[in-house]
Amino acid sequence: MDWLEQELKQALERKEPSPDFAARVTAAAAGKVVTVPVPRPVRMLPRWLPVAAAVLLIAGGAAYREHRGKVAKDQVMLAMRITSGKLNHIQSHMREARP
Amino acid sequence: MIELESAEQTGFDFAGLVREHQSMVFSLSYHFLHDRELAEEVSQEVFLTLHRHLADIKSGAHAVFWLRKVAAQRAIDAARRRKRRPQVALDEVAEPAARAVVHDPMLREVLRRLVATLPEAPRMVMVMRYQEDLDPAEIAEVLEMPIGTVKSHLQRSLALLREKLERRGVGGY
Repeated sequence: MDWLEQELKQALERKEPSPDFAARVTAAAAGKVVTVPVPRPVRMLPRWLPVAAAVLLIAGGAAYREHRGKVAKDQVMLAMRITSGKLNHIQSHMREARP
Repeated sequence: MIELESAEQTGFDFAGLVREHQSMVFSLSYHFLHDRELAEEVSQEVFLTLHRHLADIKSGAHAVFWLRKVAAQRAIDAARRRKRRPQVALDEVAEPAARAVVHDPMLREVLRRLVATLPEAPRMVMVMRYQEDLDPAEIAEVLEMPIGTVKSHLQRSLALLREKLERRGVGGY
């Protein structure tokens, strides 16, 4: 065996794994035998539920917007009626004031 | 509990086998993969496989043979799966900064790196030869390879390493 082979033997000598390696392996092996807790089945929500929720939100939003629009329209109409009444009142006063 | 079951069924103490052979299995993976974390993962996988096949183990010598064989297979599989660290050609391995001398720890690290960059088959042959001190016939048996191929891998790998080192001024003293 020449110098290179001797160096290779030194370079490739056995090394130790982490100090807790044996314990981890033994525990993992025990985990394979000891009853593994079965994960509880996840209670699945119906697939249609998110779709229905989205439809309700959209429809509700549209109805609310329509309602707000109707209220605004009524308020504008009321304001116009008041303004019109005031203008008629001023016009009649001006006619009476003219000689 | 697991040890008792195993001992009763097979006569082998699983935990005892792990303690006795962990450095062999870990080192085979480590010198092949040059990655401590991955080598521990592979070693754990090897021992868990042993645990499943404990009933097939006939003797202490058979356990050693079986562990070497499975460790070699699993390390090669892990190297194939590993894509995060591509192989580096021998020419690309960092050269020692200064002229190394025999028994220099730096030279050993350079050698480990050079071995880790050899192609799979010759790398495992070199690890079996110089870590486990197996002769070519034993290596051929463990790796299920013709003995002529084992000898060829050894000769070519040694010649390659020698050439790389001597070109860098590292020679026999």
